[in-house]
Amino acid sequence: MVLLTFRLKVKNAETGATVEMELDGDNTVDEVIESAATFWNKDMGAYVLRKGKKVLRGGSTLGDTGVMAEDVLELIPDPEGG
Amino acid sequence: MPGAIDQDPFDRSRRIGWLDLGSVFKSRVLMVGAGALGNEVGKCLALSGFRRVTVVDMDRVVGSNLNRCLFFTREDARAGSDKAEVVARGIEGLSPEARARAVVGRLEDLPDRFYEGFDVVLGCLDNIPARVHANSHAYHAGVPYIDGAMEGFLGKVTVCLPPDGACVQCGMNRTHSKVADMRFSCTGEGVVFHEPRLAAEITTTSVVSAVMVRECLKVVSGRTDMALRNTFYYDGQRNVAEEVEVPLDPRCPNHPPRVLQVSENNITSGSVQ
Ligand SMILES: [Zn+2]
Repeated sequence: MVLLTFRLKVKNAETGATVEMELDGDNTVDEVIESAATFWNKDMGAYVLRKGKKVLRGGSTLGDTGVMAEDVLELIPDPEGG
Repeated sequence: MPGAIDQDPFDRSRRIGWLDLGSVFKSRVLMVGAGALGNEVGKCLALSGFRRVTVVDMDRVVGSNLNRCLFFTREDARAGSDKAEVVARGIEGLSPEARARAVVGRLEDLPDRFYEGFDVVLGCLDNIPARVHANSHAYHAGVPYIDGAMEGFLGKVTVCLPPDGACVQCGMNRTHSKVADMRFSCTGEGVVFHEPRLAAEITTTSVVSAVMVRECLKVVSGRTDMALRNTFYYDGQRNVAEEVEVPLDPRCPNHPPRVLQVSENNITSGSVQ
């Protein structure tokens, strides 16, 4: 199976900053979330990644999600308290 | 001069065409969690006309709750009053027709079929494991679950409509699992603290709670066509509020594969147990 390498941008919803990532189609959404959170030294917490108005499933590969090169995904904190 | 209509506490609610006040009055509402969200949700439920409310929480009031909890007082903090009891009495204080029942205890200790006795469940919880528990029990009981969450000026409300809608767990990923594993509680005499303590204040609590109860009004009025699809994100610091979709995850344990059951004369859908 040939896996394409492509670039996409992840935006930090809290600051508006973006980071460009080079990824394979078999990278998972979980991996993108953790890489971006680590890059921005995010606090320990839950985060989700969304494309437009849809939240992407953590275990899905980027290939499965239909993410395309040059797409901008957004990392948003998922609040836990109550 | 005020007339008869001005003496009716629900006159202005009756002017909302789609609102089914008869259903609101008789709906059985389960509120899990009686902390900050629980206080504000309790307030909105009482003033909206909900009269049959059950409140579950194991915790007791402490002083650090008082910046965001309408019904808690310094005396409650000093006495270590049970949160569920205080919120239930608060609801009854705002609505003379309301009968609010307090259950002081852990969600995990509720009887297996407890959720089946309700028309809607409101999640006012402060940690991921409790949220997963309430979400799955409501979903399996076929009861709509409306979950609220917040941290600082961030808020979120998710509406789960079984049997076909996505649930709260569908939107969770590996970061949620890690947080659930790492958070631990310092348990004192009936008081649970989650580590680290999370930022919390009243204005975001109010926004999240108001959206939760508004969605609850839609559900009990039979207007799920107007309900959130399915998550509301709120960032009070950036003044952003928007609706986002969490798609149903077929690998989520709350959605067993559905198969077609074919009989001679009809076709119905069912779940693989
Ligand atoms: Zn689910």
